[in-house]
Amino acid sequence: MLGLDADRLRADLNRLLAFLFHQGILDEQYLQLQQLQDESSPNFVSEVVNIYFHESEKLLRNLRSLLMDREFSDYDKMGIHLNQFIGSSSSIGAKRVRNVCVAFRAASDQNNRAGCLRALELLEHEYCILKNKLHELFQ
Amino acid sequence: MAPTSASGDQPSDKDNWDNGRLARRQQLLTEIVLRNKLTTLVFDGDTMCRVLEQVLLRSYGVQTQGVDNGRDAIALIAFGAKFNLIIIKKILPIMNGLEADSLNGSGCKILGVTACSGESERQAFLAIGVDVFIEKPLDPEHLVPILRELDG
Repeated sequence: MLGLDADRLRADLNRLLAFLFHQGILDEQYLQLQQLQDESSPNFVSEVVNIYFHESEKLLRNLRSLLMDREFSDYDKMGIHLNQFIGSSSSIGAKRVRNVCVAFRAASDQNNRAGCLRALELLEHEYCILKNKLHELFQ
Repeated sequence: MAPTSASGDQPSDKDNWDNGRLARRQQLLTEIVLRNKLTTLVFDGDTMCRVLEQVLLRSYGVQTQGVDNGRDAIALIAFGAKFNLIIIKKILPIMNGLEADSLNGSGCKILGVTACSGESERQAFLAIGVDVFIEKPLDPEHLVPILRELDG
């Protein structure tokens, strides 16, 4: 009985993972993380993901507060935040979030404030989806 | 509950969407055995990226040292710490051609990783003598050939 339940759970998780891959929400880099998890670090993936959430939410707050400032002009600073977000998203395989950050950075490079605001909305949305799905994976 | 890894695990419904790269990566991760003790300096200001890069290297048995700022990285190199491989996220001020040459002469490889590469950034890295330049994330497909070469 226990074996069957474990198999069913594994099948469900694999289905969820397959879904996330098909949707482009995660890419192979996430599998890389799973492979680094072993008996000596059994919670490695969830720990890394929690660090990612923590850092990402800080970055999103920084980006929003930069753009909400009427006097805002420091696009370099925004670029630095975005590079960090791109780097960390790539490192855990958060493909869609990463892609939105890249588009966001393009708008920032052109000093396009309206474009940045649109990108930020999309980024917050994509991040929210990712976070919910990853929570499902770790339940 | 996260799925745990087991090198023999290949659930069949995973096979289609990754074009067989998962199998190749699992092979890379489990097959390489280094003969020599290699050491790496990882310079990356982003904690998450640095930690992941170090964990990946350690999974191959490479000894790693991480720094999150340029000052510490320069101090380590200047005071004679020897590394087989240096992974840098951005160009250290002291890494002009001269410094990079002296490092290269000792058989040390320099690998530049960046979040988002434009041609100008790529050129800047190559100009200071970086051996290889890749976009994040650091992955086995790029890393293993370098480790094999360093291992001799």
